[in-house]
Amino acid sequence: MAVSGTFIRPNQYFSSCVNTPSPRLNPSCRKQFCLKASAGNSDGEDRKLTRKEKDGGCKIEYTTEKPATPLLDTINYPAHMKNLSTQDLEQLAAELRMDIVHSVSQTGGHLSSSLGVVELSVALHHVFSTPDDKIIWDVGHQAYPHKILTGRRSKMHTMRKTSGLAGFPKRDESVHDAFGVGHSSTSISAGLGMAVARDLLGKDNSIISVIGDGAMTAGQAYEAMNNAGYLDANLIVILNDNKQVSLPTATLDGPAMPVGALSSALTKLQASTQFRKLREAAKSITKQIGGQTHEVAAKVDEYARGMISASGSTLFEELGLYYIGPVDGHNVADLVNIFQRVKAMPAPGPVLIHIMTEKGKGYPPAEAAADRMHGVVKFDPPTGQQFKTKSPTLSYTQYFAESLIKEAETDEKIVAIHAAMGGGTGLNYFQKRFPDRCFDVGIAEQHAVTFAAGLAAEGLKPFCAIYSTFLQRGYDQVVHDVDLQKLPVRFAMDRAGLVGADGPTHCGAFDITYMACLPNMVVMAPSDEAELMHMVATAAVIDDRPSCFRFPRGNGIGAVLPAHNKGTPIEIGKGRVLMEGSRVAILGYGSIVQQCVGAANMLKTRDIFVTVADARFCKPLDTELIKQLAKEHEILITVEEGSIGGFGSHVSHYLSLSGILDGPLKLRAMVLPDRYIDHGAPQDQLEEAGLSSRQISATVLSLLGRPKEALQFISGREWTH
Amino acid sequence: MPSYGLTIPGADSRLYVTTISTARPAPDPKPTSLPLFSSRATRFGSIKAKAATMNDAAAAAAEERKELSFYELLGIPESGSITEIKQAYKQLARKYHPDVSPPGRVEEYTEKFIRVQEAYETLSDSRRRAMYDQDMARGLHLAFSARRYQYDEGMEAKGDWKNRWQSQLSELKRRSSYKDDRQNMSWGARMRRQKEGLSDEV
Repeated sequence: MAVSGTFIRPNQYFSSCVNTPSPRLNPSCRKQFCLKASAGNSDGEDRKLTRKEKDGGCKIEYTTEKPATPLLDTINYPAHMKNLSTQDLEQLAAELRMDIVHSVSQTGGHLSSSLGVVELSVALHHVFSTPDDKIIWDVGHQAYPHKILTGRRSKMHTMRKTSGLAGFPKRDESVHDAFGVGHSSTSISAGLGMAVARDLLGKDNSIISVIGDGAMTAGQAYEAMNNAGYLDANLIVILNDNKQVSLPTATLDGPAMPVGALSSALTKLQASTQFRKLREAAKSITKQIGGQTHEVAAKVDEYARGMISASGSTLFEELGLYYIGPVDGHNVADLVNIFQRVKAMPAPGPVLIHIMTEKGKGYPPAEAAADRMHGVVKFDPPTGQQFKTKSPTLSYTQYFAESLIKEAETDEKIVAIHAAMGGGTGLNYFQKRFPDRCFDVGIAEQHAVTFAAGLAAEGLKPFCAIYSTFLQRGYDQVVHDVDLQKLPVRFAMDRAGLVGADGPTHCGAFDITYMACLPNMVVMAPSDEAELMHMVATAAVIDDRPSCFRFPRGNGIGAVLPAHNKGTPIEIGKGRVLMEGSRVAILGYGSIVQQCVGAANMLKTRDIFVTVADARFCKPLDTELIKQLAKEHEILITVEEGSIGGFGSHVSHYLSLSGILDGPLKLRAMVLPDRYIDHGAPQDQLEEAGLSSRQISATVLSLLGRPKEALQFISGREWTH
Repeated sequence: MPSYGLTIPGADSRLYVTTISTARPAPDPKPTSLPLFSSRATRFGSIKAKAATMNDAAAAAAEERKELSFYELLGIPESGSITEIKQAYKQLARKYHPDVSPPGRVEEYTEKFIRVQEAYETLSDSRRRAMYDQDMARGLHLAFSARRYQYDEGMEAKGDWKNRWQSQLSELKRRSSYKDDRQNMSWGARMRRQKEGLSDEV
């Protein structure tokens, strides 16, 4: 049953509990009401009190209880927002903020980016009508208000959990999500495609792409704008500028300055000195002319305005997009006004509306934090204190950063490059230690790779730390600029394998495949954090060809670290045996080796002793080890947390070429299944992929001809007989 | 001569003609423009002034030392309306005007008058009042005249933004009316013309 917006009259409700002081003229105070959202009847039980602040804003007080959101409760779909007045919309924005803070405090996720676009989301859904109109959110981590307003409010507590809401817009999830996103800078391209399709099909809906100033640093955004300007199709691009280009938006010591020349260009657009001077001039002209000049004054003003708009030749205008802005991105009335006017025009062509917002707006702990609480775990709403679980070991990322710093201390040719992910890659630490040897290129993986190639060509030792999934964006550069010329660029691929709550958009499933097929690349993977440190050292000494290593999200297993965090280079193309057994050999590649060890321990309880080996290198393969394993065992199982075409493929290729496969060996490869694994808890994902210890044990058992026991392992039940 | 005067709309303009420049704290009463004022003032003000002098001499002395907020000075509550502010101002201005101040206390009264003037200027302008309230809330009791509550830079910038984008929108509207003329050969224009053409036929 659709609840129409007119069923409950929010104005009436609120006028009864509005606490207006004696009327005073205060036109600068936009919010004339006071959100006294008391769920109970008694006034003594006000849970969510918002005081009217002197400067006109409404200050929300956050508590740990679920906020009372009377107006938001009436909105199930954007259609319910059409009849709201500006005041209602502002109140809705305040309630949305409370709801988001409450919701994210319980589930974790992306907080401040969503808070920054609350007013924008409200204004967009008020003026436009999804799903006919299409709103494409670039990257999508700021789409929580959008999800709440489009019928998914009741599911917000499942955000980023197994079988719950995805952390990014997803077409399968809702018709209101026009395009699946997760990687950045794709919104304008997709929007343009949809606009062209609309024109070809003769429809007339609106297409809106919302892109941030960070995503604007990527080349694809310009490719799209260039094309949009050329095609001249009706398209609205909203540039959400909050001066936060890199992630997290801070170095170790404080907020990060936006990277790149583009940011300063955007800042200049806000400078209004020219306009102001002109206006002053116009005003003084009016004064001098004296009293009778209504018409003349109007003409002068119009003239001034015309001059300003004609002279707005900015970067975007040159690309062919009509520039409007800057606009206060937290003023709902202004936003609604602009959107309505642009929507009403028949042929505006591509338009870029530049809005200024503040990341984390309206939630003081976020506004104050250096990283603005971009990505958070569960936290306490009144204080913003996050409940971070204490772990005995650090994350792989941190071990990587530590060992790279150690290497760089003794070798001054080592430099590090990342693409706007200082925190995620751990290079914030490197940046702090060696500020001149760490390069943040903005969201530009293609450039990062070729930039590293240039550095390597001149004798430096570049370490490119880019997530496995994001390196996909710079793949041609890896092939053509690095591998083809055999330049010694080192790729540190973090977030390899399944990544948990972020889901398939961030999953690093393909890097083994796409790196190991390159002729000159050395491809290796550590099975634990100590191995990782050794591999960083190994990569540092490989100076005649490119190399890469992959490591997963998550914390170390507690391996014994080398002294002073300084790794020792390992022999290239040499694996190692971890456990000795008979009949069955499990050859793992990467951190999945830990699951193999777990499986071996499970099988011990069944009196089955398997050999577990850590391959370490996918390229060059440790052929001696493989030959030996093949000779001494009946069954060889390769395990990797990657797609088909990776490690298992290389092993089977070798075995067939060497004739071993002609013999009695039973070979099985365990890889990620041929489908995308949805977001969820890491253990759930591993089970879903069929690569947990249990499932590896089950595979062994069924190969040994003990299918019943295999079933027991799969079902997780112990049968006694 | 341009008058930077404070003309209170709706008030009896004969009563108030001040030519005290807003930039300078020192009073600059032009006797030529005040005859009306002073004659009326002496009718009422003198009696009141005499009575008042006794009572609030002590208070006034204390006041001078203390930092009074504008509201306290005018004797109105913080949520006072513009009418109350005006009334308070009128009363106090009459009381403290240099021309009607008791002989020994001209300086004191003049100073008072200036403060009252400043208070009125700030509180009667909604934007400046808002800023003042904000400062008060933060506990900033700045000395009078130490901070001119001029139109805040940030807010002025935002005001400029609004003007700018409004004119940009007007320009866009203007351009969009002739955007799809025959001469425009862009893909988008062609598609739009086609669509228009089709809808005309229907």
